Order: sequence, then C-alpha cells, then structure tokens
Amino acid sequence: MRASLNWLRELLALGALDALSIDELVSRLDMTGTAVEAVEQTGAHLAGIYVGQITSKERHPDSDHLWVTRVDIGAVGAEKGADEDGLLQIVCGAQNFEAGDKVPVATVGTVLVRPGSGDGSGSGDSDGSAQEFVIKKAKLRGVESRGMNCSARELGVGDDADGLMVLPADAPIGAEFAAWLGASDTILDLEITPNRPDCLSMIGVAREVAAVLDVEVADGLVPAAELLEEGESIDTLATVEVEEPTLCPRYTARVIRGVKVGPSPTWLAERVIAAGTRSINNIVDVTNFIMYELGQPLHAFDLNRIAKEKDGRAQVIVRRAGAGEKITTLDDVERVLDTENLLIADSSGPITLAGVMGAESTEVSDDTVDIFLEAAVFDAATTSRTSRKLALISESSLRFERGVDVATTLQALERAAALIAEVAGGTVAPGVIDVSVAPAERLVLPLRHNLMTRVIGEDIPLETAALLLERLGFKVERGADGADDALRVTVPTFRPDIEREIDLVEEVLRLWGMDNVTATLPAGRERVGALTSEQRARYAIDRTLRASGLNETMTLPFGDVADLEKLDHPLSHARAGSDGSDASDTQDSLLVELLNPMSSEQATLRVTMLPGLLRSVSLNKRRGVANVHLYELGKVFTTAAGRKQPDEREMAAAVLSGSWNQLGWNAPAVPLDFYDAKGIIEALVRELGVDRFRMTEPADGALPWLQPGKGAVLLLGKETVGWLGEIHPLVAQEFDIDDVVVAFEFDLAKFIAAAKPNRDVVAPPRYPGIEVDIALVVDEDVTNAEIEQRIYALGKKTPLKSVRLFDVYRGQVSEQRKRPGRPKGGSTASIPEGKKSMAYRLVYRADDRTLTAEEVDKAHDKLLTKLKQTLGAELRG
Amino acid sequence: MSNLIDDLEKLRDEARTALADVIDLEQLDVLRVRYLGKKGDLTAILRGLGELDASERPLVGARSNEVRAALEAWIAERREALAAHALEERIGAEKLDITLPGRAHPIGSQHLISRIRDEIIDVFIGLGYQIVEGPDVELDFYNFDALNHSAQHPARSASDTFYVRDYSGDEHVGPEPSAVLMRTHTSPVQVRTMQEQKPPIYILAPGKVYRRDVADPTHLPQFTQIEGLVVDEDITFADLKGTLDHFVHAIFGPERRTRFRPHFFPFTEPSAEVDVSCGICDASGCRFCGGTGWVEILGCGMVDPNLYRYVDVDAERYTGFAFGMGVERIALLRYDIPDIRMLLEGDMRFLRQF
Repeated sequence: MRASLNWLRELLALGALDALSIDELVSRLDMTGTAVEAVEQTGAHLAGIYVGQITSKERHPDSDHLWVTRVDIGAVGAEKGADEDGLLQIVCGAQNFEAGDKVPVATVGTVLVRPGSGDGSGSGDSDGSAQEFVIKKAKLRGVESRGMNCSARELGVGDDADGLMVLPADAPIGAEFAAWLGASDTILDLEITPNRPDCLSMIGVAREVAAVLDVEVADGLVPAAELLEEGESIDTLATVEVEEPTLCPRYTARVIRGVKVGPSPTWLAERVIAAGTRSINNIVDVTNFIMYELGQPLHAFDLNRIAKEKDGRAQVIVRRAGAGEKITTLDDVERVLDTENLLIADSSGPITLAGVMGAESTEVSDDTVDIFLEAAVFDAATTSRTSRKLALISESSLRFERGVDVATTLQALERAAALIAEVAGGTVAPGVIDVSVAPAERLVLPLRHNLMTRVIGEDIPLETAALLLERLGFKVERGADGADDALRVTVPTFRPDIEREIDLVEEVLRLWGMDNVTATLPAGRERVGALTSEQRARYAIDRTLRASGLNETMTLPFGDVADLEKLDHPLSHARAGSDGSDASDTQDSLLVELLNPMSSEQATLRVTMLPGLLRSVSLNKRRGVANVHLYELGKVFTTAAGRKQPDEREMAAAVLSGSWNQLGWNAPAVPLDFYDAKGIIEALVRELGVDRFRMTEPADGALPWLQPGKGAVLLLGKETVGWLGEIHPLVAQEFDIDDVVVAFEFDLAKFIAAAKPNRDVVAPPRYPGIEVDIALVVDEDVTNAEIEQRIYALGKKTPLKSVRLFDVYRGQVSEQRKRPGRPKGGSTASIPEGKKSMAYRLVYRADDRTLTAEEVDKAHDKLLTKLKQTLGAELRG
Repeated sequence: MSNLIDDLEKLRDEARTALADVIDLEQLDVLRVRYLGKKGDLTAILRGLGELDASERPLVGARSNEVRAALEAWIAERREALAAHALEERIGAEKLDITLPGRAHPIGSQHLISRIRDEIIDVFIGLGYQIVEGPDVELDFYNFDALNHSAQHPARSASDTFYVRDYSGDEHVGPEPSAVLMRTHTSPVQVRTMQEQKPPIYILAPGKVYRRDVADPTHLPQFTQIEGLVVDEDITFADLKGTLDHFVHAIFGPERRTRFRPHFFPFTEPSAEVDVSCGICDASGCRFCGGTGWVEILGCGMVDPNLYRYVDVDAERYTGFAFGMGVERIALLRYDIPDIRMLLEGDMRFLRQF
C-alpha cells in the first residue's frame, strides 16, 4: 500500500505529523506492525528545475524561428551558469511567450525524460519509448545556451507540448518547480499484513497512524457527499438482481447521466498517481480514488451499453458463471469461466468478472454519457479463487479477497457519485439501489485482565488497555456486568480480523509496545534438554566421516529419471503412467513424482544421492580441483501403491576421487581406490560399535553403476543396508568424469540401530606376544577372508591371537603402496602367473604367562603344515 | 712389591693420558677393556700378587683398588663427556626446517549450514529443549489446515508449493493438485508434536523446507529452517522475548540487541518479527542493513489458541510460543556469501573454508 503523506496529512488533525521526522514516523509504524518497506520522494524527477522569469527575448541572429532569451532564476542562478547580471542565456524555439513570462527552467545537468508517443496522461515513464536525456551547456547555431525553458509535456506534468508552460504571475522566481507545483510528496510503501484489509485504504492508514501516534483524525474524516439528485429516478433506469446473496452480501448502485469523459483535474490525477496507478480519465480516476481513499472498490459501467429489459431498464444480474462461459476482460484477453466464478451480467452475457476486472463490452469510453456506478461487496474466497485461477490480480481483487467492510459501501457509492458529477459534469439520478443481506451484529468481546497478563507476562492495567483500544476505534465498556477485571469491547466493522479475545490482547500489546515487555526465561520444571541416543549416534557418524577426511556437502533432493537411467538404476522405470495407475498397480517401489516441478530434471524426488554427488565431483574437476572428498547426510524418497506420504529414509553417501592429498615433500599423492572408502566404513563400524556388519560381493548385475569386481554390498546380518565401490567408468563418463570415483551410500537409521551404545571392556594383555610372519602363495581367486578364516580356525587350539595381512605380492608390483611406516614383507622373488603371495603377521600370546619360543614354534609349525594341506598354499620366505 | 706398586702407578699414568686422548665411545670401550677387562692390564699386574708376602698383599691390594677406582671414575667421566658431545653433534646435525609443511591426514569440514544448525541446537539443548524432526513430504492438513491457513491462502498455490503425487487412491477436492506436498516450513512439526506429546513441550525442529523459487543468488528451492515450540503452564510473551534474546546473544554475540516488531502469522497470536541490531553499524544504519540499523532474522509469536483445537491441549491451562528461522539467512548474515547457490554446489574450495 502506497500512502502519500500529503494525502495522509489531510486525513489527520491539522499538524498531527508536524512534530515527527519521517524517520520517527517510519520507526513508530514499524514498531506497531505496519512495516514501512520503502520511503519514496516524489517530484525527484523534477530536481534541477526552477521557476524562472524571461527578462528578454531576441531573435536568433541565424534563425527565423529560434529565440535567444535571458532568464532570471534567482540566487540559484549563480551556481547554474548565470552571467554577471545573474541571468541565464537560453536559446528557445517556442513561440507562445513574451518577455516577463514565468516558465519552468531546466538548468544544466538536469535529467529529463523525453516522453514517448503515448497518450501522455499521467506519468510518461510507463511508455516504452520514453528516454532520458541530460540538459547540457550547448551552442545552437553559434549561440550559447545554458538550460532549457520547458513545456508541460517535457516535464511530464501535462499534455501540452505546443509551447512553454507559462506559469501564473505569482509563481516565485527561483523556487524549486516541484515544490511550487505541489508534486513533491513523500510516499510510504507500507507492508499491510493479510489480517489488516482496513489498511488497504488511506482512511484505514490514517486511523492506524492516529492510533499509533495518539493524535486525532481529521474532523469528519471523509467529507459527506453533497449530492444533487435530478431527473429520472434510478428505478426507471436500471434493475439489479442478486442471485447469489452469500457471494455478494451487498450490491449498491447509482446512475449519473450526462457526464463528459475527459482528463482528470490535477488534484485527482495526483492522488491516483501517488497511490501507484495511472490516471485514465475522470470517471475511472474517481472510482480508483475512492477505492484508495475508503478501501471500497467501485466499477463504472457505460449505462447505455448494458442490455435493456423490455421496459427499457438496464438489467444487472449478479450470478455464477456457467461452465465454459466466456468474457473478454479489459486487458483484451478472452477468459473461459466455470461455476466457481461470480459474474455481473446482463441479459446478453457477462459484463464484469465480479470484483476482479470489468469487460470491454461495457467499458467507459470517451463517448460515454451515462454511468451505472457499482459499489458492492463480493465474497473473499470466491474472489480469491477466481483471481488466482485466471492469474488475474487487480487492486480490486486484492481488496475483496482480504475483506471489504459492508458498512462503507454506501458511503463510497455516494461520495463517488458526487465526485463524478463534480469532475465530469452530469446529474445524479434520484435514488439508490441497495440490495443487501442484513449486516451481522457488531461483535462484542470480553477482555479479561488475567488473560492479558497470562499471555503477555506484563501487568498492563485494564484502564491502559481500554485507552489503547479506544485509540484504535474500539468501543470499550468498563465494569460491564459488575466485573472490574474485564472490559467489554465492541469491534468496529472495519476490523474483521478481530474475532477473539486473544486478538484484543495482540492489539493492546502492539500499541503498548513489545519493546516494553521485560524479557524473562520460561520457568518450567519438567524438562531436560538432551539428544536421544539415535541423535548422538548420528552425530558420531557425522564426526567420523569428517575425521576420515570427507567434507560435508548439500545437494537438492530432486531427482532426474535420466540420471537413474545413466546409473541403470532398478527404479529408473518405476514411474506411474500418465494416468497415474499403470505402474502403481504393478510396482511395490515407485519414484515420488512432483506434480508441478520447476523443470523435467527435477520432476521426481531422489532415490539415491549418488547423481547429485557425481555432479559435484564433475563440477570440481571442471574447475581444476582434482582431489574430491565429499559426503552428504540426506533423505531419499520412494513410495508405493496405496501410500499417501512416501517412505523417507536418511542416507549417508560419499564420493572420493583423486588422492587424499596433493603430492607433498614428505607425502606421496596416492590415488584413492576402493579400499580408501572401505576404510571409512570400517572406521564407522568401529566407532559406533556396529554389530554383525559385513560386506559381500554383489549378485550379478545388482549394482550396475559400479565397476564389476570393484563393488560390495554392505550388510548388517542378512539385511542389505548399502553399497560401496568404484563407479563404473562408463557411468562416470556419463557424468563427465574421467577419473576413478569411489563411492558409498548406506541407510543411516539401520546403521544407527545396529550401533552398540555400551561395549564390553577387555583388559589389555599383560604378557607380551610373539610375532611370526608368513607368506602364502595362493591362486588369484583365493580371498583374504578365506585365508584369515582358515588361519583362525586352524589356530583355534593354539595361543594364536591375531592375524593381519601386511602385503600382497604379484611378482612385479606390490599391492603395498608406498606409504611410510609399513613393514616390508616377503622376498621379491617372482611369483607364477595366476598366483599371488599373501604375507601375514601372526601374533601368539597367552593371557597368563609369557610364551616360550619353543611353545610358539611348535604351535606355528603345526598350523603351517595344516595350512599347506588345506589351502594348497605354498609357503614362501 | 715395589715393582707391583710401580706397575700400578705406571698403568694409572698411562691410562690417564690415553683416556684424555680418547675421541669417541668406541675407543673408550677399547681402553676400558684393555685396562680393566678380565684379561686387561690391571688384572695382569695383580696376577703377581700371589708371589708377594702376605704382609705386603694388603698394601698392594689397597693400592690396586685405588687405581681401579680412579680408572673407573675417569672412564665414567669421559663417557659422560663423550656422550654429551655426541648428543650435541647429533642434535646439531638433525636441525629441521620447521617451515616445511607438517604431515597430517586431512580432516573434513562440516557444511556451513549444518554447522550453524548445530550451534543453534546446542543453544536450545542448553535451554532444556528436545530435538524432533518431521517428514519432508507433508500433508496439506499439517502444513496448512492445522496451522490456521484458510483454504484460499496464497501459499497453497501450485505456483508457490511443490505438490506430490498421492498413491493412496483418496479423492482430493480443492484447487490444489494434491493433498500431499513438500513442506513449505517446519511448522507442521508443531502440530505433530502436540498430537503426540502432552505438555510441557520444549522442542526444536530443524529440517529442510521447499518453495517453488527459481535458484538465484538469494533464493533456493530448498532451504533449512529451525522451528521452536514451547507449550507449558505460565508461558508468556516475556518468556518468548527472553528466549530469543538469549539465542541472539549466543549466536550473534552478546553485544547485539533484538527488536520485536508486531507482525502477522496465521498460527501465532500475538505475532512478531524479530530484528537483530546490525553487526556492522551497531544499529546506526549502513548499506548492509539497508540503512535501518536492523536485520530481520526470524518470525515468532504466542501459539494461536486455534491450534489447540487440532490437538488435545487445554488452552485455559497452557500457553505457548513458537518461532521459526531460516538457517541460510543467518549464514548469509554471518558470512558475506555472494551467491547462496554456492551452498549446494559442493565446490571443495568453498566447503573447505568452514
């Protein structure tokens, strides 16, 4: 809501705003619930223009139509290039002036807007072809010119382009033109919250400002309309029938005949422009002016374009639209309606989309002479649905959808009719049409002192509350029904938002001042602040992932089916058909579909976080960041036939590419691979004390986005909880990545559920162990797990305590990467093709004594013999 | 006898000279063995002891003990000196360039939004709150109806809110495409909590929320909200102020002030927006705060009694307050992030800064 201070001053008691600076006013409004979003100074486009007097007018020596003028703009002339006589020399092409005339003078440096070819009414800047230009010191045919004498059109203050704007003789020389014109105004752009429809009018803003500042509104806030009725009665000219009284609780109308449609007088144009609209013509401007003033939207029809009944009376019907009925609105768009839309119609069809926008067919035009003027109230919900469905939001619909006060309707009609007669001539036909349902009784609410105290936490005296409410226009009864701890409050009709006692508490609080409330902390006894064990476990996972070197990231939760196809993900086909039924009947796991996505790439919710993370890997690589270590904790979504809300699961996912570090003076840059990701999972399992965790090879084709032979399924007992592995090179390529990417993703809740919050403590051994290294040459397909299991099994009856692989050797290249601090295992003798050497360190230890070398040798020899037999392993070294 | 004494004296003098010339521990050891070892010079001299008179033996024995003690002391002395010297040399030789980079496994960083979220959670854990969460895909009942949003509320519009296909087979009436949606705020958690839990309720609900905004430098279709709800006996607006004052001091710094501006939210009454004094100009007005001196950070209010209708809470006995804030907004205020989309890109160089 744009509120002009010039206008506001007229609606408040004289001098009410004088004691305040603009900043103070803004702050007071901010702190009482009417946020001021911007303060705009109008007339700014006229800066640099002064009232000047032409002291001499001489022919240009080289032109038969140009004049050389000397102009007095007063003391300010000294700064604007005046000569020693204090005068500006300005070359001028206009013919309509004489020496001695006063004109607006644009001084050097002034920026003017050259109007386009538009109608020029109101602000020229709404026209696309307008352009800015700067007044410069110039020579015109050899004669110097310092400024410009202006026409009204050049200044955007009128339509007259035929010559200079000659000002009245009493215009003071040297005055700022904007100030002299009255064009300088301060506009407050107010944020009106949806609960305050009353403040969508100047009178509402005036009431609010008066209440906030504790000043009075102007006497007779809005002047009573002085109507001179004349001629035929409205009853003989028009009829109104309201078919839907619940959707149109009040419909009032007047007829004004013999008007002359034309430009508005300056004061009227100024008001509607200040309110943020264009000046159209004197009739439309009056309806807009009253809407801004009183908050009651009005509509003016050309009476003679409304279809007539047989008896010659214009027939106006308020009814629902028929399904498929059409209307061409004022913006020249044909709109198809349904039965939700309310219409004003005549016998030939719709003439207005009620409360939203008029129709071309009955629009007021230059040759309109008789006006049918409507002031009505339409149902908020219906107006809102209509305007949203048709994407047609008008100043009128905005007000109806928040609620218009039926008590103001007739006043607005009368005032508008009188104003039309005043500014457009014509006579008001005797009589008013007023079709209305009985207005609801004024709401009376109690306000108990103890409720106020209980909610606010401050003891605001009841009398203080009473005075604050009275300032806001509420009628307050003290001591009603003998109660001295409560008020009886009658709610004014313009405050439909006040429905309950609590609403009154808010009114008192906001005016009393939230800043005056002393801050306290709740004293509640029965509460403990703590994380649950699940939340703590989640934090532990989060921390461990970071401690492992991963950086947390965040991606959007939307998914693209094309991404799933790139992964060959099993759910890439789990979409419903266009009728929403096909797949849902056959699939037990479906993608969650957005019905109104922003783009096709974001049309579903993600079922895996991998694509988003791969995209981040790709982005980093493109930007030259080779080493990428990212993780995300986030939700994935699937649904199923019969489900309303989807299944939401929180997952942890990570991607690694490059190496942990850049090559350093003391640290090689080791390429990241499967085992780096596996190490992180192992760290998590250890950190959380996860039970029954294991990894297995995926079934054929089970994790198609992983390189075969480099993927693993993560299990807790028999339940699959995630996967880990190197991204298939072809999949990486699909995401524009050329490097190796290792990734994992697992179900956070399942992992957390398997975490053991309490652990068994084992005392550290008191006696030293004896370490023995062995190297076994085995077939390539024998796994480490098999060998370890076998060694443990064979060592069951021996003091064998631990087995640890420390080298894998394949003749040429050692798997043991060049990391510092690792033992070197075995010899470098060549290993036959298809075989590998696995080196283990075995530790033998007894819990109750130090083992002797003989004991260990005996046990170890026995174990080796059996190993050779059962594994077919050859012992090396 | 005198021969033996002379030999001892000679050995002592020779050893003293030899030990003085020793330059390392190895040489010292050689000399020690030569003089004092089982087959050493001293032992060799003492072998002649048997040929002496019994009366002479004690004298020579005493003398030899003196010489042995002297030699042992000298050797120890030399050993200490040589060890000290050797250590000094080693230390000198091992001097490092301490400006060479250290060796560490890189530790990952937490995302800025999670970091701020966790900071805020810590503040409210300290105030006795529990942390609860709700679904991202919500029902319009929880997201709108139960929060006092009218059927026409503009936020319901399909141009503002993401709607999700409903597979339940329920028939949906109304202008919106579905009864299932991506939650637009964390406030539904208020309703769900009050349905499940009796007062006293002190909860904080962090989570992602979704709006149909095109991503640009200041908007994202997904952002992070933190909702707070307290329902207990004797909860007042003054308590709300105190709670949020404490929060602002903890998160923004003890010197910052708050300002409560009356506002409107469908589910609180009275309602307020809270501004924090601008950290750059200390409320005197600058470009950062748009000249107002204040920066809006959250919305709050007393729980509207209408909400209690949807849950089993006695409005005459309990009062409550609620507040909601955007974590991204706080992040933008605390760090001068030029483009909010950076939060979702996963650029390592951005993430590693936090």
